[in-house]
Amino acid sequence: MAELRSEEMVLNVGPQHPSTHGVFRLVVTLDGEQIVDADPVVGYLHRGTEKLAEDLQYTQIIPYTDRLDYLSSMLNNYALVHTIEYAMDLEVPARAEYLRVIVMELNRVASHLVFTGTYLLDLGAMSPFLYAFMERETIVELFNEICGARLTYNYMRVGGVKWDAPNGWLQKVRDFVLHMREKMRMYHNLISGNEIFLNRVKGIGVITQEDAINFAMSGINLRSTGINWDLRKNVPYGIYDQFDFNVIVAEHGDCLDRYWIHMKEIEESLKIVEQALDKISEGPVLGKVPKMIRVPAGEYYRGIEGSRGELGVYIVSDGKDKPYRLKLRRPSFVNLQILKKLLIGQNMANMIAILGAVDIVLGEVDG
Amino acid sequence: MFHWESTPLTGISFLGMVIGAVVVLGIALAVVTYAIYFERKFIGWMQLRIGPNRVGPLGLFQSFADILKLLIKEDVIPDKADRIMFLLAPVIAFVPSFMVLAVIPFSSTHVFTAGLNVGVLYYLAISAITILGVVLGGWASNNKYSLIGGMRSAAQMISYEIPLGLSIVGVVLLSGSLNMNVIVAHQAKMWFIIPQIIGFVVFIIAGLAELNRTPFDLPEAESELVAGYHTEYSGFRFAFFMLTEYVYAFALAALATTLFLGGWSGPFLPSWLWFVIKTAAVIFFLFWVRATMPRMRGDQLMSFAWKVLIPVALFNLLLTGGLYLL
Amino acid sequence: MFGILKGLGVTISQLPKKKITLQYPEERPKWPERFRGVHEYIPDLCIVCYQCARICPTDCISLTGYRDENKKMRIETYDINFEICILCDLCCEVCPTEAIRMTDQFELASYTRDGIYKDMAWLYENHKEHGSFKQMQAAKEQAALAADAVASSMHADADKGASD
Repeated sequence: MAELRSEEMVLNVGPQHPSTHGVFRLVVTLDGEQIVDADPVVGYLHRGTEKLAEDLQYTQIIPYTDRLDYLSSMLNNYALVHTIEYAMDLEVPARAEYLRVIVMELNRVASHLVFTGTYLLDLGAMSPFLYAFMERETIVELFNEICGARLTYNYMRVGGVKWDAPNGWLQKVRDFVLHMREKMRMYHNLISGNEIFLNRVKGIGVITQEDAINFAMSGINLRSTGINWDLRKNVPYGIYDQFDFNVIVAEHGDCLDRYWIHMKEIEESLKIVEQALDKISEGPVLGKVPKMIRVPAGEYYRGIEGSRGELGVYIVSDGKDKPYRLKLRRPSFVNLQILKKLLIGQNMANMIAILGAVDIVLGEVDG
Repeated sequence: MFHWESTPLTGISFLGMVIGAVVVLGIALAVVTYAIYFERKFIGWMQLRIGPNRVGPLGLFQSFADILKLLIKEDVIPDKADRIMFLLAPVIAFVPSFMVLAVIPFSSTHVFTAGLNVGVLYYLAISAITILGVVLGGWASNNKYSLIGGMRSAAQMISYEIPLGLSIVGVVLLSGSLNMNVIVAHQAKMWFIIPQIIGFVVFIIAGLAELNRTPFDLPEAESELVAGYHTEYSGFRFAFFMLTEYVYAFALAALATTLFLGGWSGPFLPSWLWFVIKTAAVIFFLFWVRATMPRMRGDQLMSFAWKVLIPVALFNLLLTGGLYLL
Repeated sequence: MFGILKGLGVTISQLPKKKITLQYPEERPKWPERFRGVHEYIPDLCIVCYQCARICPTDCISLTGYRDENKKMRIETYDINFEICILCDLCCEVCPTEAIRMTDQFELASYTRDGIYKDMAWLYENHKEHGSFKQMQAAKEQAALAADAVASSMHADADKGASD
């Protein structure tokens, strides 16, 4: 019989694995049940968006941005379009701005619902996944009516949006907001009080404030540590300064806090949608835009609050109708860097809970 | 009718016993097939979707299709695996699950039931042999993940045997016998669930852990890292492990019915129908819990058994003993 | 303990609700008007301006045209490579005559790669079967009836005027 070896075991999680939220590979070195080293390997979904963009006109890049964070396409579209409008100093009509806010916040709700469903599915509960997707189906049907697609919307254009809302659409959105508020109670009944769930996520994967700032985290991961930073309030873009909503900040920085912030942010987004529905006015949906969109020479960067963090677009232009260089600051990619620090020293059973709470989407990580 | 223990063994009575065993096996397999079907249907209904409905009318042949698929798969045995142990493990896991059905009173006429005077003890002892099969399966696969998974599963099952046994002792105290038929007879006036409500709760929780079902299904978890003891098994051998689990589910539900819910007793309807209804209710509860709960972590599972369930079961025992004396 | 019981209550309360499964392929989903499905193409309306080919982000449209006797451009071949088409709707947005539109067809699976490379004939068939052919015919008939009505009322006026 061979002698007993107590060496470290190298384990490969992914790229095909039910809980890694996509094609993500994590090379974990284990000593018994403790994680000694964790090395994320990304790039399995890299499609060369930034390189392709160097050969495309600005309007042609918009369908490509849909596919970055495919759960919140509207926000991706808006990041690009907003940067171009900022660079070219274009006016966007009021109705377009309000429609943009409505679809963006609805998309944020949809994205957070996917987080809830998949996080609980990783932890073993099957039902919240299906309930979350039922609500998401309503949102996706609304988007289907307004722009013709269910996931990759291609809805925003430089200077406004492509289509106006069809008849009755705004009323349907209002009905959905009321319906969703009621449903939140059901989610809290099902999940938030569940002792098994709480034991699994409380105190796990704590991020300190110092770490969060050093690793350039943003979005919910940053706000879970206690730092109050939301780009919609701190660096307002579009018409977000006209809306009255709270920024949810937690204290402990563990996975439970991140879950709670996701749930509370759904309610805040619903508040914003309601206010936008009240304030929306009639008018055109596409402003005066030159036929050939040429960004003046220079470097421009704008960041917006995506559903996973700060989504930024950096354009280097030399005056032509195609960008010289388009760089996307993708929040999931940046947030992923803290995974190594969080996992070392942890029990292997907590790995899935921590990875799920960082909330990455592989389309965004790889670009 | 069949007083086999008081008459000498003849060929006819032996044949009768074999036929009886085959009939019970057939019933157990039928129950398992439709338990799997109903699990998928019920969990689907709770999640606002229809379960299987394409294979056969209302999807009733779905389990047969699954079993056929498993049967025609290639029988893969790993090269470096311990061949004899590998082949033996599913058998060791399954046979006890079928043996425990011998002591459960299905109906008032006791046709297929052995009136063992140590029925409850027989159940607990035989069901513990399955753990050997699990560990053997994990070891013989020659796969470090299976070994860890098998060890974890065995640790879980052993730890939860104790609260299971302790919760049953309360019932035994109240009825004064380990014989299942006598226990059912004592519940003619009042089902034991009412005085033994704490015992019932402990029994159900420990039973869920014994069956490796959610929320204690860490050994079988698909989304956790280390796969369970049945990773290397394919085709029908894998089906054997699954069959074990579901026959145990049926056996545990039957045990719960017998010990706490009054067995086959009940007015108006024939006794076996009452048994079916009560067992189905317990099995439905198991499905309901599976649809709702997330999974417990490994170390939390163990500390829950030792630090929470055993004290509660002991407390129930003290309470029962104390009240019985009074 | 109570959190778990509340959760159990939620799951059991979903049992009597209506199930949301769609029995595909017997039942088809109902798409809204703007749904972006597979294209349809009307060759008579096309003026061969190349705008669709130029705007396509993946370069999946290729077309050739010729100049006919009246010095107008007519379309000769029009192909869309659906292997790389991302159904983004930019081609329909820029077409000045609405010669290319999108239908609500979404089933495009094929056994061969050639089967996904659609030419003008297929796209026109799509127009007739799943596209706006019937609508356009109906609109033409309506317009013809309206023109008839106007013409006959003009005749009636002329007759009246003549008989006065």
